[in-house]
Amino acid sequence: MNVNQGAAAQAASSVRVVIVDDHAIFRSGLKADLDASIHVVGEAATVEQAIAVIAEQRPDVVLLDVHLPGGLGGGGREVIAGSVPLLGTTRFLALSVSDAAEDVVAVIRAGARGYVTKTISGAEITDAVFRIAGGDAVFSPRLAGFVLDAFGTAPADIADDELDKLSARELEVMRLIARGYSYKEVAKELFISIKTVETHVSAVLRKLQLSSRHELTKWAAERRLL
Amino acid sequence: MTTVPARPPLARSSDRVIAGVCSGLAVHLGWPVKNVRVGMALATLAGGAGLVFYAWLWIMVPTADEAARRNARRPASPIAPAVSQAPAAAVAGTLSALPSAPPGPAPFGQPPLSQAPSNQASLGEAADGGAPQGADSAAPPGARKPGEPPWFRWQSMKYGKEILLGCGLLLVAGIMIAQLLGVDVPLGTLIPAAAVLGGASIAWMQLDETRRAGLVDKTKADQAGGWARLAAGLALVVAGVLVMVSGSGSWEQTWLALLASVAVLGGVVLVLLPWALKFWRDLETERAGRIRETERAEIAAHLHDSVLQTLALIQRRAGSEHDVVRLARAQERELRGWLFQDPGREAGQLSDRIKAVAAEVEDLLGNAVEVVSVGDAAMTEGHEAMVQASREAMLNASRHGGGAVSVYLEASDGQAEIFIKDRGPGFELADVPEDRLGVRESIIGRMKRHGGSAAILSTGDGTEVRLRLPAASTDNVEGKS
Repeated sequence: MNVNQGAAAQAASSVRVVIVDDHAIFRSGLKADLDASIHVVGEAATVEQAIAVIAEQRPDVVLLDVHLPGGLGGGGREVIAGSVPLLGTTRFLALSVSDAAEDVVAVIRAGARGYVTKTISGAEITDAVFRIAGGDAVFSPRLAGFVLDAFGTAPADIADDELDKLSARELEVMRLIARGYSYKEVAKELFISIKTVETHVSAVLRKLQLSSRHELTKWAAERRLL
Repeated sequence: MTTVPARPPLARSSDRVIAGVCSGLAVHLGWPVKNVRVGMALATLAGGAGLVFYAWLWIMVPTADEAARRNARRPASPIAPAVSQAPAAAVAGTLSALPSAPPGPAPFGQPPLSQAPSNQASLGEAADGGAPQGADSAAPPGARKPGEPPWFRWQSMKYGKEILLGCGLLLVAGIMIAQLLGVDVPLGTLIPAAAVLGGASIAWMQLDETRRAGLVDKTKADQAGGWARLAAGLALVVAGVLVMVSGSGSWEQTWLALLASVAVLGGVVLVLLPWALKFWRDLETERAGRIRETERAEIAAHLHDSVLQTLALIQRRAGSEHDVVRLARAQERELRGWLFQDPGREAGQLSDRIKAVAAEVEDLLGNAVEVVSVGDAAMTEGHEAMVQASREAMLNASRHGGGAVSVYLEASDGQAEIFIKDRGPGFELADVPEDRLGVRESIIGRMKRHGGSAAILSTGDGTEVRLRLPAASTDNVEGKS
């Protein structure tokens, strides 16, 4: 993925955002909550609208509801699948009211860079948007919990395929995030820099998206993900 | 048949020799089963009247399971407790079941197959159950009966097969003796008639079997075996009819008769097939519609009882932000539980208990308590103590932290860990007065007593309580108790 697009510069200046959600009330509420430096350049309520608006506006970040009407019924996943050519420059942050692992993990595996619940506060979502725009991954405690559940809590052996398990350090980071730590607190707790924490989280995200590990597919199949 | 209200409805019982007609009738009439069976056997001797009556009841009267299902169709309350239990699976199961199976999830645990009847009753059955069969129409049916045990379920009956076999052999012997003595036994009529009867019973029994299997669980129906039985029964009947019709005639005649009957059957099928298909499709559509209707009614009932009530409450309390948030959180939790509950998961595990405690704390103090759990464990005494300790920690975090509380549970084979984190101003354990037992007793002391440990880390950015319980120590505690 093309991350080195002057992420810092992008984050510092304004971020162009498209909001995709089928509830007009939620869209307007979210717009009001977002920081002034975030420009909402488009809105969409269905899968088709979303793909069209994203192709036209080429935003930095798409705030994407997991459940959407229209299309083939695939919801947010389908929007990402329909915007694959833009994945290098446009990043997706999944929003959901759903706690269900299948919804969350499916949209992450489709290519979203993070997942937050809709009950998140305005400041938190602004922070998440900047983070995503800067090329980082955003993990909520719940998503970290799903990751730990899916990959298991035992660290990788050297013999294992590196995509199949989390390293000891990545496990530690995931555990702390699941415990409600912010990236800053994780960095402080583990005596590493925030940048390193972000690297670990991105690595976990990559594993979650790319791993074809047997247990992960089984785990997903049990939850009817595949 | 007169129907007296006080009587139990006429249904074929699962306590059966052939199809449960006699015992069902006995229950309905309030007579001893033995009398009914003997009566049926005697009536059979009277020109086969009993046999015809038996067959008629077999066809017309539903099995006990079916009758129960039919009565269960009207739910007593519109709120089904098990709506969330995999509606899709229930729909699929019901669709594939028989037409008489009612829609909706199967709430009534049907006793699978026959509940092994008591030994004494079964022996009685065998004794007089053999009679009507043997008396049916002289030798051949009786002689074939021993070959049929797979269709009977006499698990608890010791000598059922032997008794039947004996009856059959006795009958055969009797006929042979009669022939030796010069009595003219019309074997040419008897054998085909017996073949027709036997074939029909085999096919009907298979129908009973599939009905039962369909009611309990579709996969339990032995499909291949079922079809084989049906085909065997059909072949027997066809052969019997052919022999009867063509008399003792030549092969040519038999062949012609067979050809003619196949042609006639083919014509009838050709005419009726579209009708049958249409009828079948209508039936399917209607059943699917009924299932949808039931589901919809259940969902409507649930939403009415929960969401609508909460919305009404929220409107009345619109002035108090605290109350509104609390109500919304509680309703969200309830709805989530209803929507996303995994029916395959075991209830009452550690994570469930932690979530329940978190919900309780949330209701009590109004601050959100987010639980993330990885892995799970069955509850032990040590785990119960851990749940209580984390409840205390959650209460403190919510009360003094004044914001959202994060709870993380990680349970594996080796140990269970719970972390409770808030973002309050923090405190010093040493500053807590000696007489305040909350932290010292309810959290640290309790964990230590059960072989676990508790650590409290508090800074200006918040407090985290870490509880840890190794699995081994919980075993010890269990052993002691």
